[in-house]
Amino acid sequence: MSDQEEEALKVIQSHRQGVLQSELWKLLDIDSRKCSRIVKRLLDAGLIERIEFRSDGIKTYLLRAKKRAIDPCIILAGGEVLPCIGCDQECTPEECALLLDWMYQLALEEYQE
Amino acid sequence: MVSVTELLDDPAINAYILRMIGEEGIELLRRFPEGGEHSDEELAEMTGVNLNTVRHTLYTLYERRLAEYRRLKNTETGWLTYLWHLRLDRVHDVLEEQVRDVLEHLDARLAYEEKNDFYMCRNCSVIYTFTDAANWNFECPNCEEMLEHFDNELIAAALRKRIDRIKESLGSA
Repeated sequence: MSDQEEEALKVIQSHRQGVLQSELWKLLDIDSRKCSRIVKRLLDAGLIERIEFRSDGIKTYLLRAKKRAIDPCIILAGGEVLPCIGCDQECTPEECALLLDWMYQLALEEYQE
Repeated sequence: MVSVTELLDDPAINAYILRMIGEEGIELLRRFPEGGEHSDEELAEMTGVNLNTVRHTLYTLYERRLAEYRRLKNTETGWLTYLWHLRLDRVHDVLEEQVRDVLEHLDARLAYEEKNDFYMCRNCSVIYTFTDAANWNFECPNCEEMLEHFDNELIAAALRKRIDRIKESLGSA
């Protein structure tokens, strides 16, 4: 895969809801024709899917990665990052008080929903 | 390419990077010049961030593959210059690796919450398993207050739900 294809795939993956092809070439700072070729190669490789989309009456495509990038929200509870991420303390997850606090935040979020 | 500002506007990514490099590190990222490669001293001068913080931030990001450098050697003096650029485009991949690594901790905690019955001292806010509480005759070993049953169902259910969501997001449900 060329660098440009890799970059295009990263951009598509980072937009969980998908990105319009008419926006993609601007984000990649390339022309639309080159973008079409890159998109075709990613489609042929089965890495993305293409859904017809109308934007202000103009036909374009919504591009979505088949292997979606992780949803970063899964590490947050009440705005707090899961304490295990980047933790360098000796790990006893069963008795970790930081993890318990985070679980309380989670439960609170659930309750509020 | 998704811009640094756009990435930092995502509250979860922002919180994740903030934990990694702190407020000053985030400031460096926000002011990091777009494109090109820069030495740590140039970056300190261009961004107004303290040189030590610039170095510390870059090394921390480098350890997580979120920054890269190219090393140049001055043939006359033999001095080495490191030219840095950011690779924040990898942040989703890096985060995914970390989440995969910690998932077993969450599974272990959930198993512990599910298989134990808990008792709590209202005075000390300390929670004991049934076995420990029974050993203390259901009296707090610190203040001798009677321990009360602690219903952990809400937090266990919330954790179970989040673990399911994480596994679904990782494609390993």
